[in-house]
Amino acid sequence: MAVKYTVQGLLIYITIAAYVLAFVTMIAGRRKAGQALFVTGFLTATVSFIYRWYDVRHVPLQNLFEVFLFLGMACYPISWVCRRVLRIGGQWADTLIGAIVLFPAGFVFNAEPMPLPPALQSWLFAPHVAVYMLAYIFMAKAAFQAAGEFAARKPGAEPAWLPPEQATYELVVIGFPLLTLGLVLGSWWGKLAWGNYWGWDPKELWSLASWLVYLGYFHWRYMFGRKHPHINSFWAILGMIAIIITLLWVNLSRLFPGLHSYAT
Amino acid sequence: MNRFKRIVLWAALVALMLLALLSIYGAFLGAERAQAFFTSLPLAFYWFALTALLMAGIVAFRRLGRVPSLLLMHIGCILVLLGAMWGSNGGHAIARKLFGIDKIPQGQMGILEQTQENRVVFTDSNSNRELPFFVRLKDFRMEYYRPGSLLVQSRSGQNWRLRAEAGQTLSLGDELGTVTIRRVFENFRIDIKGDNPVAYDEPGGSNPALEVSSERPGAAPGKRYVFERMPGHGNPNDPLSMNYSRMVRDYVSELEVVKNGQVVAAKDIEVNHPLHYGGYHFFQHSYGEDKLGEYTVLMVVSDSGLSLVYGGYMMLVAGVFWHFWGRRARAAVQSRRTMTRDLVGQHE
Repeated sequence: MAVKYTVQGLLIYITIAAYVLAFVTMIAGRRKAGQALFVTGFLTATVSFIYRWYDVRHVPLQNLFEVFLFLGMACYPISWVCRRVLRIGGQWADTLIGAIVLFPAGFVFNAEPMPLPPALQSWLFAPHVAVYMLAYIFMAKAAFQAAGEFAARKPGAEPAWLPPEQATYELVVIGFPLLTLGLVLGSWWGKLAWGNYWGWDPKELWSLASWLVYLGYFHWRYMFGRKHPHINSFWAILGMIAIIITLLWVNLSRLFPGLHSYAT
Repeated sequence: MNRFKRIVLWAALVALMLLALLSIYGAFLGAERAQAFFTSLPLAFYWFALTALLMAGIVAFRRLGRVPSLLLMHIGCILVLLGAMWGSNGGHAIARKLFGIDKIPQGQMGILEQTQENRVVFTDSNSNRELPFFVRLKDFRMEYYRPGSLLVQSRSGQNWRLRAEAGQTLSLGDELGTVTIRRVFENFRIDIKGDNPVAYDEPGGSNPALEVSSERPGAAPGKRYVFERMPGHGNPNDPLSMNYSRMVRDYVSELEVVKNGQVVAAKDIEVNHPLHYGGYHFFQHSYGEDKLGEYTVLMVVSDSGLSLVYGGYMMLVAGVFWHFWGRRARAAVQSRRTMTRDLVGQHE
């Protein structure tokens, strides 16, 4: 763990501070002030992402540092869509998710700029990663709502918001097509870069497993509807666990050497 | 829901979770062993069963027929599975026996510059087969990002990195002094003129090197050459070791396909840009150099089943977005229209 004494580092730390303050303010019931801080954090995160883009001269989605920078930036727009379009609450949790994903970018991951290796020089690079990351945020929010189903005080308890089980479903409904598109784009890109649309690489297999868990969720919910809200929610949490392993463990652990190792 | 439907749904759920668990197991095996596992005979039965189950689902659930988006998703999955099976080694063997389509599933091809080759080597068995045409390598080249970088390491394990450009200076502190890059060579050569060695850049070849000078307190200024192709080369008593490296931007093979003495196709292939000819894709895979010269290694992959897989992908993605996003968006628009109509009605 190391502090980054750079402009990039400073921007990340300001964003984390804004998100944490937004979280505390929202929990304290000062919703408008919290929202203003959340927006401030988002704007700083956007400047940070653009700064990185300028610095490395390619879409900054090459490694975990850049991917987490993107995640930190995408939290606010997704939170906005959920609140305004989907009637899903839990904005305070979004600020927390933003701060959590930016923490490793600020203190753990190496930020040394690297040119793109030949395999990553494809137009499919940016959409494949970006689509996956957006899907991951929706699924993280879904998992949070699903966890709320087990909590005594449910996050969607306010009448304006959807109840947790339904909110989970709505979020998975938005995230799943993105997850599918990410998988298919990755497969297509794999064919162009490595010769096979499916290489049985650990990352590919874990991402397939995540996709299958959500597919299982839909089939289960089709069979039983809302009869077993706890089991429905459990599926969504299981899917998120698989996603975390796909995103982090596969890249960071030596247990899974593979074609996606450059992403570390 | 009738009994048959329930059985199909439960079977689908079990099949999906079984595949998820097998995928996780496969992830621990590593890509090579996972591939062997997933293409083994017991798993071949699983793939057939999954395909049959999807088909049974379409028959059992009339709703799938009435909701085109759901139908697209399920047919998409079936096409992906059929395409993958058709493109597998087993699929190629069946195509040969039943339809006389004799194609090489996958292999590698090494071609020296300015020569042509039609033998495809199977890496697992070291046997080879011939393509009905030749592939000629006009030229192979590697392109690099500029500038490269000079890595300086002290004996105590400290590291510094410097852009490999003439005039770049690195200050290493009071004890180690400074390091300056004086010249950058693409193709380093040295001649003795009079009593002095003279380094120069000779156009055409490739021997990347840097001329680096160092100044240390209490020591005479030094000059050394750091060669990309000789990493770690240097005086063991020197307090600093240096390595020059450049990052590869691309590998390019200039290829021609020759059939009956005629060039029938040509392409400069690079990573992400393969050549497609005669039912095969040719991918830039590797490269090397031996006493006969530079050579490229191509991965040759049959395109059997690929159209089915891609067609399946398109149907799957279209179906998923249509079903989960499109139908909802339409419903939202309709409900907004109804609300507006109601409001207008109330005002009237």
